Amino acid sequence: MAVGTRVLETVGRARPGRLARAREWWEQEHVFGYSLIVPALALIAGLVAYPFAMAIYFSLSDYWVGSPGSFVGLQNFRDILGNEIFRQTVSNSFVFTIIAVILKAVLGIWLAMLLFRPLRFKRLIRGAVLLPWVIPTALSVLAWRWMFDSLYSVVNWTGIRLGLMNPPGPNWLGMADYAMSAVIAVNVWRGLPFFAIIVLAGLVSIPREYYEAAEVDGASSWGRFRHVTLPLLKPVLAVVILFSTIFTFSDFNIVQVLTAGGPVNTTHLFATFAYQMGLTGGNLGQGAAVSLFLFPLLAAIVFIQLRYIRKE
Amino acid sequence: MSAVIARRSFLKGSAIAVAGASLALERAPAWAQKRELTMLSFNHFVPASDDELRRQADVFSKQAGVTVRVDTIAGPQMFAKRAAEVSSQSGHDVIVTGAADPFLYEQQLVDMGDLVDHLGGRYGGWYPFAKETCHTASGWRAVPWFWVAFVGSYNEVQFKKAGVQAPKTWDDLLKAGKVLKKQGNPVGIPISQCTDANITFWSVLWCAGGKVLEPDGKTPAINSDKAAGVVEWYKELYKDAMEPEVLSWDNASNNRFLLSGKGSWIHNPISPYVAAVEKKMPIADEINHHNSPGGPGGIHSATGVNSLGIWKFSKNIPLAKDFIKFLFEKENYNAFIKGGSAFNQPPLRGFAEHPIWASHPKYAMLPKEAEYVHEQGWPAKPNAAVQLIVVNFVLPNMVAKAIAGMPTKRALAWGEDQIRLALQGKLETKGK
Repeated sequence: MAVGTRVLETVGRARPGRLARAREWWEQEHVFGYSLIVPALALIAGLVAYPFAMAIYFSLSDYWVGSPGSFVGLQNFRDILGNEIFRQTVSNSFVFTIIAVILKAVLGIWLAMLLFRPLRFKRLIRGAVLLPWVIPTALSVLAWRWMFDSLYSVVNWTGIRLGLMNPPGPNWLGMADYAMSAVIAVNVWRGLPFFAIIVLAGLVSIPREYYEAAEVDGASSWGRFRHVTLPLLKPVLAVVILFSTIFTFSDFNIVQVLTAGGPVNTTHLFATFAYQMGLTGGNLGQGAAVSLFLFPLLAAIVFIQLRYIRKE
Repeated sequence: MSAVIARRSFLKGSAIAVAGASLALERAPAWAQKRELTMLSFNHFVPASDDELRRQADVFSKQAGVTVRVDTIAGPQMFAKRAAEVSSQSGHDVIVTGAADPFLYEQQLVDMGDLVDHLGGRYGGWYPFAKETCHTASGWRAVPWFWVAFVGSYNEVQFKKAGVQAPKTWDDLLKAGKVLKKQGNPVGIPISQCTDANITFWSVLWCAGGKVLEPDGKTPAINSDKAAGVVEWYKELYKDAMEPEVLSWDNASNNRFLLSGKGSWIHNPISPYVAAVEKKMPIADEINHHNSPGGPGGIHSATGVNSLGIWKFSKNIPLAKDFIKFLFEKENYNAFIKGGSAFNQPPLRGFAEHPIWASHPKYAMLPKEAEYVHEQGWPAKPNAAVQLIVVNFVLPNMVAKAIAGMPTKRALAWGEDQIRLALQGKLETKGK
């Protein structure tokens, strides 16, 4: 508690200067504490809260790129729900996310186990594994686009030479199922290192004694994985699956560069369709409504998974 | 009060001092030097065209005593950039617009009627598509700058070997394509989510006498016998004259298809030939061009017209108009056509005599294309609904559905539904 100025006057001591008083005020716990978090709050308010509030406002208005528009309530949401392309987009997003996240989880754990083993050039290999995640997505997806190209597909060329495909090979980006497989494959290729490296960190933190005890008890390698590795990895896996689900649901670059949502909208995701409606199409209101559909979905996923992690 | 007087005296004294110093140095002080005029365009397919534009900007800078900065970004980024500049009411002075932009941004762009009249009067008048694409109900919101013709690009050697002629109509193409595919040289029109797929569909539909919207711009017209005939034509062409790969094509795929020596015909700008010449590919000698085919409804060809607009928030509107006028000076515009390797086609009749076309037999047919050209949406104006129909690839997707087995009538009904949805979310402007 600061000593009052009147008390100081009474005891005959000089009143503290303006600077000293300001300093005294500043050093109070509730002032100083809040001051420290203000920059972070300002950043979140400016870069997250404001755009989010704007998106909500756009989604409730008939806002076009060149004109401010007016409030239309939930009309945009009703309109997009009545649009077959949007319903297709919702279905695509679930198929894409569920398959890609499962593949990334299974392959990620497998890759992490391989990297966990004593290897020569361990650091080099671990560094190389991260490459797909480090290379700018637009560039790497362009390379994939060439690999799936209808005329010069190296995938088909290899498959045909190995006798695995009949010429001319699958039309990767021209048929719905192949195109979805292609975008999932590229998403898994890109997201796998993220999974593997985080799971690897989890593996490293498991004490060796547990494995030794399991071995003494006669556990097979599968038994050790099932009863030691997997239970101890659960919290790490929950976090990484949470992040991966969010990243995968909101993926944009891969689909935009590889298929632009085609063929016949069968690979459109929320982000690509929102971009198409809102920015290239100019209907910002409906574009915002499309992208906001993602929000309650992701919020529910985050809520469920965070609850699970807390329980663990 | 005395403080105010003191401040005024100080400002007065300072101004005199700065003016005196400026006179002494014979130029303005740094902060008062040249105004800056800015322009935003997309990266041209022919980089030399952007170089020429910047050179002209430098010349104008010197003449007008200002600084002109030309920024170029990737074409697909232009949508977001325009929206961001309007939203923040700040950015470039001059902006390249295209397709429905003069209509979408009608309330944000300066009226260009005076400049359009001046340029039209000076250079032989505008082609009809200029008004179709830039003249909204509230006037000219942009000055048509250049457009790129979609013509027939074909391999003469393969055509000769198959004993077929360059097609004059889309039906001729179907007949020739059947022979060419049997020879191992299919033709190619994208039926996918890319710009070229849209452009060609509009062209074929118009030539068959069909339309997507009535001239009022708010009544769907796709569900017609003529459009059904076009879908049937596409199905036959796909089955007998093309390869399934057209379902996955992007804008560059048809170029690769022709240059690979496999493909015999594409509907495209002259870019494959220009690339073949630049890279000294032997196939350049085999490629030639012909005018976009016609049909019972006449000859019509879709294109994207690039135009120049000035934002209302610009603080340099008269200067920006002077700069645009400067770009259209005969010497400058001719250099621009040359810099663009014949890509940059003029919307003004007076520039059709450029030697680049007359002197090159493979380009000789290009100026004539201007008579057939319309912006996507015609006979309606390229309004907000047209923009949604185009960017959602409703028309090529409708064809792709029919090819995948959906009955033609149902595919047309699907297309009509999508067009109704586009009209439902239509921007309300004066130019509807």
